[in-house]
Amino acid sequence: MEFPTSPQPSPPPGAERESPGATPPVTLGALFIAFLKTSMYGFGGPIVWVRRIIVDERRWLSDRDFADLLSFCQFMPGPNVVSITVCIGAKFRGPAGALAALAGFILVPWTVGFSLGALFLSYAQTPVLQGILRGVAAAAAGLLIATGIRLLLPHRHRPIALAVAMLAFAGLAVAKLPLLIVVLGLVPLSIALARPDRVPAR
Amino acid sequence: MTPGASTSLIAHVALLAIISFGGVPGVLPDLRDFVVTANGWLTDREFANCFAIVQGIPGPNMILMMSLIGWKVGGLPVAIASALVTFGPPCALSYTAFHFWDRFRDAAWQQRVRRGLAPVTIGLVIAGGAVMARAGDSGWPSLAVTAAAIGLMLMTRINPLWLVAAGGALGGLGAL
Repeated sequence: MEFPTSPQPSPPPGAERESPGATPPVTLGALFIAFLKTSMYGFGGPIVWVRRIIVDERRWLSDRDFADLLSFCQFMPGPNVVSITVCIGAKFRGPAGALAALAGFILVPWTVGFSLGALFLSYAQTPVLQGILRGVAAAAAGLLIATGIRLLLPHRHRPIALAVAMLAFAGLAVAKLPLLIVVLGLVPLSIALARPDRVPAR
Repeated sequence: MTPGASTSLIAHVALLAIISFGGVPGVLPDLRDFVVTANGWLTDREFANCFAIVQGIPGPNMILMMSLIGWKVGGLPVAIASALVTFGPPCALSYTAFHFWDRFRDAAWQQRVRRGLAPVTIGLVIAGGAVMARAGDSGWPSLAVTAAAIGLMLMTRINPLWLVAAGGALGGLGAL
């Protein structure tokens, strides 16, 4: 929208910092506001909203850069979206950027969300609220599964990747193995079987 | 609750957060075992309620989920402590690792690691969703809502907020 000129080609890897003319500089305030917005919109899992706001709306990152960051952050422990927040902040503005983005993501949204959540939890026994929560949980579980399936699509031509994903799923959801066992068992196997050639672009 | 319960919860949440490779939804099955089955601090229904509530309100939902469980076990101080241990140590780790990762982003080993990691983390995300779909004695109408949400999310560009709202409305009308 703000870029009525020709669509920007995605920059070559590592070139963002050398081509500052492509996008306006990302200030600390802008990071705070962008992640405050991400967090306040983030019903049913904020990952969807991070992509919308950072890639589609602000155009701070290309889809490919975002996908790279996501695969790193998905593996890091802790809430993925918090890792993404910290990494995007750090990428543009170093430690101060990481803190600004994190503060935007957590401070206000946590206070608002916790107050609302504690209030709802106190009334969770009322039948109508019970029903609403049941429906919301069912839909939200579907969103989570769909997000996983969507992430799996670029790997659909890699039988080994599909088999590893199935094993991870079955280990946790069917066999109910502890997470650490599943991770420690599958990660070395999966890396050993991965071929170094690139995933074809979608 | 006893101070012992609070400390033990915070320690367990901190441990789960630091090993939650693939994201917090992947640790929900373990967390449920700990707070519901092993310690009985929450009922299965309350645990499912916490999950549902954080999906239905804005904000950092997995941090809020840990906070709500903390609040049930030991009040506001435990809620705040649970939030801090959920994101604090993992954030410090991500920040440190990110510099290293970014520097070598085009190295062959990193592309290989990235391709190896992706399917594991994806499997864990789907498993987290499957476990939550079955939490809290859900019957077939709930599973139908989950299936419909999956289908609509994959086949249309609908805003996910509408799916959450539709699920809530169906449940509020007593259909589930």
